[in-house]
Amino acid sequence: MRWLACELHTHTLHSDGKQTLRELADGAAKLGFECIALTDHNTMSGLADKDAVERETGLVILPGMEWTTFHGHMVTIGASEFADWRLAEPGNLREGTAAVRRRGGLAGLAHPFRIGSPACTGCFWEFEIRDWSDLDYIEVWSTTFAAIKEDNRRAFELWTSRLNAGDRIAATSGRDWHEQKETDDPLSVTYLGLADESAPLQEEALRALREGRVAVTIGPLLTLTVVEEGDNGAVYALGSEVPLASGAGARQPLKACADLRASVREGLWELHPQSGRLVLTSNKGDLLELSVHLAEGDSRHSFPFDREGLLWIRAELWGVVRGVHARIAFTNAIYFERGDGR
Amino acid sequence: MSIDLLIDRTGSLSPDDSKTHLRFPFRLDRECANLHIEFDYSPKLLEDEERARELLDAAFELYVEPARRAAARANAERYLPLANLVTVSVDDPNRYRGACHRQDPMQRLHLSAVEASPGLLPGRIEEGEWTLTLSVHAIVTESCSYRLKAWATGEDNE
Repeated sequence: MRWLACELHTHTLHSDGKQTLRELADGAAKLGFECIALTDHNTMSGLADKDAVERETGLVILPGMEWTTFHGHMVTIGASEFADWRLAEPGNLREGTAAVRRRGGLAGLAHPFRIGSPACTGCFWEFEIRDWSDLDYIEVWSTTFAAIKEDNRRAFELWTSRLNAGDRIAATSGRDWHEQKETDDPLSVTYLGLADESAPLQEEALRALREGRVAVTIGPLLTLTVVEEGDNGAVYALGSEVPLASGAGARQPLKACADLRASVREGLWELHPQSGRLVLTSNKGDLLELSVHLAEGDSRHSFPFDREGLLWIRAELWGVVRGVHARIAFTNAIYFERGDGR
Repeated sequence: MSIDLLIDRTGSLSPDDSKTHLRFPFRLDRECANLHIEFDYSPKLLEDEERARELLDAAFELYVEPARRAAARANAERYLPLANLVTVSVDDPNRYRGACHRQDPMQRLHLSAVEASPGLLPGRIEEGEWTLTLSVHAIVTESCSYRLKAWATGEDNE
């Protein structure tokens, strides 16, 4: 599987950004991104230059728009045309997300716990969510050095609580990038897993986000698969569901395989050499952990585990970043079919 | 060159108008070459710092967990000065023509078949029902006056 390095939340002069699409794309390419989503506030006019900028920079540019409403900001990616953000009311979110999806788009909560009006108008998520399947993802890491920020901690906990409730929803990062300004802060990257490398990149990137083949990091790429033991054991990718029984009918023992790749975006991130903690976590809490050396090549770590009582698992990498103990990377979830038919 | 004045409205907004849209429909009787929009509002900033801190305290009550509120209050400076925010969006007879979501309290916007101000889409300035929408994201001053003006110029074949 190819993992595409993406920045999924950006702005240009067409809203309140201080950059053209070309300047944004150049800046993104320089930082090792292969794909950006343009998510200007309430307009898609900035996409007029999309094809030309893609040709000139080699970057994939996903069309998007940030619904900048009074009751929350919602990032939408992939819709072919405009859906009207002005109709959004606290109680009718489902109509909005349905309109986005009819147009081929995906909808996510943007920075849901950022302090709202009048500090940042509409920034705190106040839409009522009756059914979480109306939404595709939660931007759990917003801005730079995201892991240590209070609003992101709440967003991450929200995501975990939805997974624990049995919902299946992706988690992403987004810089909310408005201008080309140097920063020493660690930058988050959302990697999207392209299942079909021969398909058009834009379609595959959207499919990856829709299906939860997503991994987020400030440095090494951490991904996870679940593998059935034995010859020809099935392999389950991020976002997929491990069925109750394999084809043969009997439950096969399972192992979780975490792949850590320090070779990605080489030279564009830095962590001081250290032993990090690789954790396999779930709705039952942490299942397993081991110490791994950071910033040293690529490695695979396998853990046999018992699926009893599991709804989901994900991998996380923890370590010290700028003197702070923090989450360095996390994968999206792999889900388990349950006996009650869910 | 003919000029068709389409809208020239002034008004006053109060904090109660926050989180509402004001729609200004108008009819364009003939296809034109250019649509011009001027939108100004004033004041932009809440100069009364004491009042600003009161408003922020109320926001922290709503949006920050109890244990973190003292820290938020200590860092309230980063949100000052508080500002009014009103944005413009445009609908032509057939489709959405975009929005100008930015802080500028003086906007001079233009649309034509070949170009448009950032945030707006170029395209024909067709005859029919148009709408300008003011989205009042936040009014933090006691009152905020605005003026919205739109006019069309030029024949479609110019």
